[in-house]
Amino acid sequence: MLARCWDMFSSALVLCMDVGFSMSNSAPGEEPPFELAKKVIQKFVQRQVFAETKDELALVLFGTDATNNPLDQDDQYQNITVHRHLMIPDFELLVEIENQIHPENQQADWLDALVVCMDLLQTETQGKKCNRLNIVLLTDLNTQASPDNLDVIIENLKQAGITLQFFLPFRLEEDEEGEGDADRRDSGHPGTGKGLSREQKSGLEMVRHVMLEGFLSLSTYVSVSESDAIEQLCMFKRIERRPMAWPCQLTIGSALSIRIVGYKAVTEEKLKKMWITVDAQTTKRDDVKRETVYCLDDDNETEVQKDDIIQGFRYGSDIVPFSKVDQDQMKYKHDGKCFAVLGFAKQSMVQRHQFMGNQVVKMFAAKDDEHAGVALSALIRALDELQMVAIVRYAYDRRSNPQVGAAFPCIKQDYECLMYVQLPFMEDLRHFTFPSLENKKLTPSDAQLSAVDSLIDSMMLVNKDENGEQKDLFKPHNIPNPAFQRHFQCLHHRAVSPGTPLPAMEPWLQATLDRPEVIRERCRAPLEEMKRKFPLTEVEKKKKLKTSAQIFGKDAEESDAKNEKDEAEEDYNLADIAEGSVTSVGSVDPARDFRTLIKQKSLPFREVCQQLTHRIEQLLSNKDTLYYMKSITCIQAFREQSVKLGNADLYNSYLQSLKSSIENRGLEVFWDLLVQGMISLFTRKEAAAPQVEDTGDVDDLVSVCSFFIYSDSLFVSLNIYVTVETQAHVKAISSAFVGCDSLCVIMS
Amino acid sequence: MAEWNAFYRNEDEEEEQEEGEQSGESYRITGRDSLVFLVDASKEMFIKGEDGQPSNFDMTMQVVRSVYMSKIISSHRDLVALVFYGTEQSKNPRNSFKHVYVYHDLDEPGAKRVQDIDSLRGEKGAQLAAETMGSGETSLGDALWCCANLYSDIKLRLSHKRLMIFTCRDEPHGGDSVKDRQARTKAGDLKETGVVIDLMHLMKPGGFNVSLFFCDVISPPEDESELGLQEEPCEKLDDLQKRVRAKEQKKRAMARLNLCLGEGLNVAVGIYATAVTARKPSAIKLYRETNEPVRSKTRTFHTQTGSLLLPSEIKKAQVYGKKQIVMERDEVDAIKKFDDPGLLLIGFKPMEKLKLHHHIQPAVFLYPEEDQVKGSACLFSALLKKCSERNVFALCRCIARRNYPPRFAALVPQHEEVDEGNAQITPPGFNVIYLPYADDFRTLDPPHYPAASQVQVDKMKEIISKLRFKYRSDAFENPVIQQHYRNLEALALDMMAPEDIEDLIMPKVEQIDSRLGPLVDEFKDLVYPENYNPESKPCGLLTEKKPKVEVTEDELKVHVQNGTLAKLTVPVLKEACKQFGVRTAGTKKQELIDALVISLLKHFAIDKA
Repeated sequence: MLARCWDMFSSALVLCMDVGFSMSNSAPGEEPPFELAKKVIQKFVQRQVFAETKDELALVLFGTDATNNPLDQDDQYQNITVHRHLMIPDFELLVEIENQIHPENQQADWLDALVVCMDLLQTETQGKKCNRLNIVLLTDLNTQASPDNLDVIIENLKQAGITLQFFLPFRLEEDEEGEGDADRRDSGHPGTGKGLSREQKSGLEMVRHVMLEGFLSLSTYVSVSESDAIEQLCMFKRIERRPMAWPCQLTIGSALSIRIVGYKAVTEEKLKKMWITVDAQTTKRDDVKRETVYCLDDDNETEVQKDDIIQGFRYGSDIVPFSKVDQDQMKYKHDGKCFAVLGFAKQSMVQRHQFMGNQVVKMFAAKDDEHAGVALSALIRALDELQMVAIVRYAYDRRSNPQVGAAFPCIKQDYECLMYVQLPFMEDLRHFTFPSLENKKLTPSDAQLSAVDSLIDSMMLVNKDENGEQKDLFKPHNIPNPAFQRHFQCLHHRAVSPGTPLPAMEPWLQATLDRPEVIRERCRAPLEEMKRKFPLTEVEKKKKLKTSAQIFGKDAEESDAKNEKDEAEEDYNLADIAEGSVTSVGSVDPARDFRTLIKQKSLPFREVCQQLTHRIEQLLSNKDTLYYMKSITCIQAFREQSVKLGNADLYNSYLQSLKSSIENRGLEVFWDLLVQGMISLFTRKEAAAPQVEDTGDVDDLVSVCSFFIYSDSLFVSLNIYVTVETQAHVKAISSAFVGCDSLCVIMS
Repeated sequence: MAEWNAFYRNEDEEEEQEEGEQSGESYRITGRDSLVFLVDASKEMFIKGEDGQPSNFDMTMQVVRSVYMSKIISSHRDLVALVFYGTEQSKNPRNSFKHVYVYHDLDEPGAKRVQDIDSLRGEKGAQLAAETMGSGETSLGDALWCCANLYSDIKLRLSHKRLMIFTCRDEPHGGDSVKDRQARTKAGDLKETGVVIDLMHLMKPGGFNVSLFFCDVISPPEDESELGLQEEPCEKLDDLQKRVRAKEQKKRAMARLNLCLGEGLNVAVGIYATAVTARKPSAIKLYRETNEPVRSKTRTFHTQTGSLLLPSEIKKAQVYGKKQIVMERDEVDAIKKFDDPGLLLIGFKPMEKLKLHHHIQPAVFLYPEEDQVKGSACLFSALLKKCSERNVFALCRCIARRNYPPRFAALVPQHEEVDEGNAQITPPGFNVIYLPYADDFRTLDPPHYPAASQVQVDKMKEIISKLRFKYRSDAFENPVIQQHYRNLEALALDMMAPEDIEDLIMPKVEQIDSRLGPLVDEFKDLVYPENYNPESKPCGLLTEKKPKVEVTEDELKVHVQNGTLAKLTVPVLKEACKQFGVRTAGTKKQELIDALVISLLKHFAIDKA
């Protein structure tokens, strides 16, 4: 397929698209060929952009109203436009495809367009190292093409080593279809080559002629449904990596060695790029700097210079200082690269679920060494016949840790190899025991078992079809990683249409992650039966730790923090009107009174604060959760207004004195609630209201709006900094601060 | 917090090998685990076995030591205590109990404690024990009471409390019914406060009869079946070690999820990690003067104004195709979300469809959670039974956590297996084998060689059968980790040099050679020509230092404009960065390219102007 020829080498490709008027014709209810072709091109270019391949790409349109190509002379090569010359595809090209490519009103000879493409490839790859040259033609073949020059063209293609690929908006007849691509998913579908025009038929003849010449690598179709085309393109598929050879020697004892070379065959692929942090306003990376400082765990948080830091390790309750130099000297050292057999064991002793690591390495005999090939083959076949594996010591190089692993024999039709998988060390294993399920209470009845039986029957993904051939309805290893697809979809969207919300997941992607439609239908009845046979009742959740959100009963449902802020504002205004004037902080709703008084500015800030703290103290003297809640609302209001006015001294000192009195007054419960409440408020605020910071002196305000929460204390300070005692807290807090960079969590 | 991980990863670069870091599971731990060893110190415990077998006491000490060591390595925050009963001397917090000797208080184990245990091992150890503690009367009731006090003296929150009794006497009080009753009452009190009491009964002449006394003392097994009580007493160290280890680790679910068979048919399951790559722990930063740990604070600030940046003042970006694409931080999370966490059954496949090489990460284990959805265990059990009977696996889509992209996984049924002593070897449940996506496969170009002849294969078979052994997954220790802890041990205890470790994954070359004897040469004669030396490096591989390479500004300009920077090699790119004073975040190729593109585009734009 297209992707496959692009595997390892840098190459050049011309996308040649028909935009002539016939491409816009379509049967009712079907998408016109033009739109489909455009989509295919978009997906393809998208994939190239995100895969960041070094492959260069050009775009030639034909059927355009205008003419713009180097071969344009007299009446020759008309209505053909070189839209983009050969270069690495980028977003500009994507934007252009999105906005500048429209159906046009002319028609052009597709053979002419092919010649333009060939000329482009030849002139623009001169002096470049290109291993592969490719032309992809997207057309409905609905133009009169003169077959006179066909043979000349074919000859030229051959000489230049250019491969050609057609994307046609209809299927070829079945007999042609099998060629070169037997495992095509829909190869069993009947052809729909009927209803073609005369031009299309003669065009098809020519395509066949080209195919017979043998160098047209593959032909793929723009099929009726988009998902087929996409599947064939494997969109964004394969972040291709050139496999790295790992030459080594397989050794058995000191006297027998075989030269081998290893390649990673299966490994969890990750996205190449990390998110970088940029300033929200300028979106410049250089504007943001991160710095890590170290400090002692004392009251003053005395800062420690980097040079004064040494490293140590924990040995149970002891902390052992252990310098890097000492560590390097004393650490386990080994001779480096190795693949040494420790012994041989039965395959059945190595259990599948004990495979470790995240890769499978295939070991072949060294390149150009037939003797090694034979020797390794003897080992592979012997292992295979005995149903055994080699247990080996594997070290990638001197710097990496050695592993123990198993080398399985693997014999395929066209090659043989050993497959290496890492096995666990004793330290990796956790021996958990679980209660037996062979328990009288749990033993399923025969009726229940037969319900499961019919469920399995109905949901078998591998079935034999009428011809006795096995068909697998669902192959995860053919599905592109949906995380990548979604990632690139969103990036693409943001790049091409900035300022709009992210798009929904594409339906085809969603569909690939769900049960196949056939299965869904088939299992309906057995599932109903299962429901009847197996009563399942959700156990009432035991009292879970109440989240602060529940306690404060506010934001459980409100995901949109901005909305909430607006509502609160409105709420407060209405209340203002209804309540008339407020003269002091009362006991009914002290927080609201406080806000109102601050707004009215009729009393000095200090005095209003005093009134509020007075009320808080009163409330706290009743040791009751209800009163605690009320005090917390007051403190929240206190903080909020302090932030607004840029004056946190009163708030800070009050909180400090409150904190110091907690133990004496037995208010620990209240304090815990307060800390929780403040954290939730804080995160919500940070997410919602950046405007707060715009109102005054920056430095001052930063100091105001940032919290310092240490253990269970809560102060206002310069840093956003969290230290907590238990991991549960870390979890709670870090989840509240998802993605927050300036947050530092340390276990004390 | 992707950047966080990145930060820590950079710190410990030697760990960064060719294989990427496995994302470490973080467990939600709400308190400390605690374990009390209550060891019988009566004369019977010190009787040596036949043929110089270690005494029961000696065996117990070895087990305690290995638990201390494993706690130090894997969970140093757990609390452990060692208490002897049936001693002559007494030592306990308020000295209110006679014949109870608290050797180690409930605390985190450290180097000193390991040393203490070592001194109780072997012949000398028995002597030391006799001198310091002696053997005397037994009152298990008092011993249990004392242990209860140990628990209650702890100010920390304890999440899991376990007490293991090591004894070889099935009638500790010799039939004294008052003392028996007292012990039962105390055991009851302990159990009421959530302490799990296990019996590690050891061999004695005439057999150990659990039903005489201990059946009323210990906690009933989790599953209420009789399993556990019928266990034979331990005779061998291995058995005891295995039995203790199985109990000593508290199993914690990584996640509790629903396994959805269809709409409205949700089975509650827990996911457990049964094999996790153990790594050397990360270093702690200490202040040079006092050796006290320091904390790090990371802050993000604006380069120009110097002011701290709040999370809301930060966005995230990636550069592709010369364009910087910016997203809100919550959008970055939203992209990763496909669905709520859970397992969705797609269908079933015959076992042979599970390919050996479809391996991308270690498997996890699935077990029903009856206390979340009642009926789960029954359905789970039926599914397990049928899958195993029909030799099929269940294919599922798995979203393990919030905002985790989906993965497909094969649920492979696993039978329960028990050994002769009725101890569980493999638990019943499904192994979850994660399956690769299309992207995870690499296209290889395998070399083609002639296959070996049957004679050659047969010779190799002879070699193989000479080197057969029985593989056990727990047979190999990790030499890197072992060496690390030996080093620490030596430093912590001021030893002259660390103890030597045995590298178990080193091939025993001499043994192999002597076993194979002439077979090697016979095989070599069959496959290799006379002058062939597999050790020699093929020519041309000797790498010479390449001369320094540079690019001119114009070349660079062309590369930036055409987006062809990736064609340059890393040394060239580094040189270019230096040349233009470009600051880079890292030394990865992509990072160099990104940095160059951003700053050079600016640079050239200014040039034009």
